[in-house]
Amino acid sequence: MIVEFKLNGEDVKVETGLAMRLLDVIRNDFDLKGTKEGCAEGECGACIVFLDGMIVNSCMMPMNNVIGKEVVTIEGFSKTERYKEIEKAFMVEGAVQCGFCTPGMVMATEGLLKLGISLTEEDIKVGLSGNICRSTGYEAIYRAVRKLTQEVVLND
Amino acid sequence: MIDCRRPETVDELLEIIDTGKYRIFAGGTDLMVRKRQWQGAERRFEEDIVFIEQIDELKGITEDKEHYHIKTCTTHRNMEKSLVLPECIKLPYRLMGNPAIRNVATVGGNIVNAAQVADSLPLLYALDGKILLKSKNRSRILTVEDFIKGKYKTDIRENEFLHEVIIPKIDITGFRYKKVGSRKASILSKFSVVFLYGMKNDKLDYIRVSIGAVNELPVRNREAEERFVENRDVKEFLTAIRKEMEGTDDKRSTKLYREEVSLRIVEEYLSEILRGDSYE
Repeated sequence: MIVEFKLNGEDVKVETGLAMRLLDVIRNDFDLKGTKEGCAEGECGACIVFLDGMIVNSCMMPMNNVIGKEVVTIEGFSKTERYKEIEKAFMVEGAVQCGFCTPGMVMATEGLLKLGISLTEEDIKVGLSGNICRSTGYEAIYRAVRKLTQEVVLND
Repeated sequence: MIDCRRPETVDELLEIIDTGKYRIFAGGTDLMVRKRQWQGAERRFEEDIVFIEQIDELKGITEDKEHYHIKTCTTHRNMEKSLVLPECIKLPYRLMGNPAIRNVATVGGNIVNAAQVADSLPLLYALDGKILLKSKNRSRILTVEDFIKGKYKTDIRENEFLHEVIIPKIDITGFRYKKVGSRKASILSKFSVVFLYGMKNDKLDYIRVSIGAVNELPVRNREAEERFVENRDVKEFLTAIRKEMEGTDDKRSTKLYREEVSLRIVEEYLSEILRGDSYE
């Protein structure tokens, strides 16, 4: 059937099944390959996108639950000012090694920053607890997010 | 080709499930994984599906004088952020999965799945939680304990769906909750312990102890709880609970570890009460 939703700010239509994964639709039908498939069971966070402003794993999101909603992928988010600040913090702190988890990490980071509150160490760890990185050892990522919470959130 | 239906109201949903055998699909955090296929393929459902996440009537938490009412499509995130619910109900939901899963996973889904490791079940056993099941021509209310029949087995009928969870309000003086897994987030429990107690006129009025994921069903022994309030005998209580444990070794843990460690945690909680330690 034809499914309609908003993708990165544009109204889109796609012929697909209601039980298809949002992940497959954004990667295959819209050729947006920034959203990655890792574990395919909601543990690694590589496929995180925003659905109506909340982070969700697109690997376990059926198209039915996307109808009429707004999806933002890393490609859409990368056009924002906030993304640039996150990118810079990740670069400065060396929070990227192989890069496979990075789109999901960036989305989860924004999920935290958009709360607009000052974050404790525990908040940061919980906020990123659904994202697995097998190379950085997380500390560089935590440093980047800590820095962002100080610079971005408190200056907003 | 399977048939996928998308009702907009509860009445439409009841009509659809009355006509044939549909699998009810809410948040999808379990079903999308259990029915996985290769990349780019639709999930491998054997039966027709009816989606319910879009039905707004099925979301939300309300309270009346005696109960909390939690509609089936309320997400774990709604639970953890709720201004209505007490902390002892919110905490287990806050520790399930991870933020992206909690944004999507539903309260009803965790119950109807009836997984051995479903963390909401020991909580609902301890709180004497009930559920409202609806079909086109009738409604019935069951305790969660009567509804769950075994691992992935419930008493739901083909033309029924779980409409809401009903939790009786009780005076809780203190509670403890412990979830044990091989890491903190995104993990299925090795076991979990829910502990509640109430005092009346400075005397212990009740305790409730429920242990999840050790057996196929949560362990709770009301008689032993009542006896403990009378005789304060920690050993006798633990012996009674141990008798009911019949778990097996599996990939997450061993029978020995689950039973020993969960009972030691219960022992500690009971001892805290006897020592008169303060509770939050």
